[in-house]
Amino acid sequence: MATLEKVDVVIAGAGASGATFAAVLAKAGKKVVLLDHGPDWQLGDLISSDMWGRRIKPVGHPFILEGKQVAPIGYHGGWGVGGAALHWFANVPRLLPNDFKIKSEHGRSLDWPISYDDLAPWYDRVAEEIGISGDARAEELWRPAGRAYPMPPMKTFRNGEVWLKGFAANNIRMVPAAVAMNSVDYKGRPACIYDGWCHVGCPTGALANPQVTYLGEARAAGAEVRAWSTVTRVLTDATGRKATGLEYVDRDGQKHVQPASVVICATWAAQNPRLLLNSATDKHPNGLANASGLVGKYIMTHFTAGTNAMFDGDLEGAKGTIGGQFMSYERYGKTAHKGAFGSTLLVCGGAAKASGLTGMHNARPDLFGPALADFMKRAAKGFTRFNAACEEQPKIENRVELVSQKDEFGMPLARIVHNYDDNEAALWNANFEEGMKIAHATDAKDVWQLKGAMNAIHLMGGTIMGTDAANSVVNSFGQTHEVPNLYVAGPGIFPTCGASNPTYTIFALSLRGAENLASSWSTIAG
Amino acid sequence: MDAKLSDAMERRVFLKGASRGMLAFTVGGAEIVMTPGEARARAVPFRMLGADEAETLEALGETLLPGAREAGFAHFIDHQVSVPPGEALLEARIVNVKPPFINFYRAAIGGVDKASTARSGKRFAALSAAEQHDFIDQLRQNKIEGWQGLPAGLVYFVLRSDAVDVVYGTMEGYESLGVPYLAHIAPDRRW
Repeated sequence: MATLEKVDVVIAGAGASGATFAAVLAKAGKKVVLLDHGPDWQLGDLISSDMWGRRIKPVGHPFILEGKQVAPIGYHGGWGVGGAALHWFANVPRLLPNDFKIKSEHGRSLDWPISYDDLAPWYDRVAEEIGISGDARAEELWRPAGRAYPMPPMKTFRNGEVWLKGFAANNIRMVPAAVAMNSVDYKGRPACIYDGWCHVGCPTGALANPQVTYLGEARAAGAEVRAWSTVTRVLTDATGRKATGLEYVDRDGQKHVQPASVVICATWAAQNPRLLLNSATDKHPNGLANASGLVGKYIMTHFTAGTNAMFDGDLEGAKGTIGGQFMSYERYGKTAHKGAFGSTLLVCGGAAKASGLTGMHNARPDLFGPALADFMKRAAKGFTRFNAACEEQPKIENRVELVSQKDEFGMPLARIVHNYDDNEAALWNANFEEGMKIAHATDAKDVWQLKGAMNAIHLMGGTIMGTDAANSVVNSFGQTHEVPNLYVAGPGIFPTCGASNPTYTIFALSLRGAENLASSWSTIAG
Repeated sequence: MDAKLSDAMERRVFLKGASRGMLAFTVGGAEIVMTPGEARARAVPFRMLGADEAETLEALGETLLPGAREAGFAHFIDHQVSVPPGEALLEARIVNVKPPFINFYRAAIGGVDKASTARSGKRFAALSAAEQHDFIDQLRQNKIEGWQGLPAGLVYFVLRSDAVDVVYGTMEGYESLGVPYLAHIAPDRRW
């Protein structure tokens, strides 16, 4: 095993959160190394094709998925530099004030140790830095005032516009969807051309993936990215109070130690707990930073209730952006739906492609043979859908834990157990019921829903933040309570998840955590 | 030519092929870039599948979506299960199927032929079109008596997605639906 020259910061994972920490710290003059287990994807690798787009997603991941609604890994995970944010839809709704105080306000679930007001300035900073298009004033129907987005809303298309009549008839106000895409040229990156290929990676730079935002900035400031480097352990000193670096295996199977003054785990909600649990020592017998026993606990996801429709005429369904054109927080109140608890975010107008997991064919999974071919011809013109994204409440039983079976690097696999409860089922059903009312109030010729099985999207939790080591793994900056120079970054630190897509909040929390680290460097890095 | 320029040129050539859905097949010991449909038309030998397996797979593809056979359904899958898993373009990878992917397809094909033989005394490819349709309809609903091995619903879902990929997931497929493909990286010619 080779021990390399010590650096200031070593980061496991070069996705949204790792890239943000790297950019801030490299620009602060720190020597930063990012380790990522997959390829070093470049913009030119992002081919406009659902088939080719699968290459940037995980393959043969080290997780055993258990439960009724298995954790979203294959489609939602990342593989390689850029992580899952290389293929994110770039929808950027914020969490709202009611997401931060659920336990205080409703006597259930968990509180965040910070409020919306603590995070709001960082949302505004991220909007400016990565580029967000939308109408912040319109969103202030539901949230406190903040800075305007730096770009006007995106263009809209018929596949989104046809839903507006139905929402209006149900007293649901829709506003332009906030997206991390360029509606106009911005910071040297071109405006979007509305080709709908966001989900397989945007090679033009119009969509704010890490390669054209924080990762690019980090590299420009001198950060080094080592691809094909699989981190297996966080190393600590004899006292157990200080992280000393990361152990990793390179593409040739050689093991290395990268010493550093500060260690950041940014390998997503599933892998961070696996890494901490595999870093147990005599001082941390149950896993690193796990005195609370909460490493791996409170895994959460979102779920969606989708409503499909066929309209007359050509909706130009393949055009636009994959994430959506309009959104609404009208049902975001925790008790907005009678008999169910949790927020709902409504989004309509996502581009529909001919193949892939979100392709038109999967709107009618029962069809095959000539009936499928006939449907595809009709759907190519008239199909559209909208989604109600719903909030899961954190449950300690939903967890990541190590098993005895090992991967090719000698690291134990992890089991992820995930189930919804009756409350989530009630919220799902309530949104289906309202979805049908919305659809019937449009000019759609045919409307239908798929209620076969609840889905799970957006993995979060597992290393939640809180006020101390008794109730959480990290503080609001991502700093572990037990090892001050060890950080965890990403959606894993959310104690509750709201119904908003997580990546905007990941960027905001990471920026906040990184700047705090940079300004407190001498205290934390020692 | 310096290495950087050479890499750039190779990447450009690769991308042009990729945007047309082309793959590198081996013909007479040489690697030739062509579509799966062209590979089928030229009777390119299978890398991984046996003749019976390929026959069953083609029949499954054609039953799931007309046109899949001619589009090179079996050649596409055969090629994809022969490359390193990280390079595979299969829907299987994103629905958490563990590599090597050939194991999934062999189990699926074996399960189908075993069940078909038990039901009708014939392998799936030898069934009439109506019988094949009925079989898939039962498979879809997990109603095949005595079905063993992989979950029937997963087999249906993955193979159906593969069929959609080869028939509609290409530029030619989009054209057949009248949908603009809108590629960032434009092909040098249609195929």
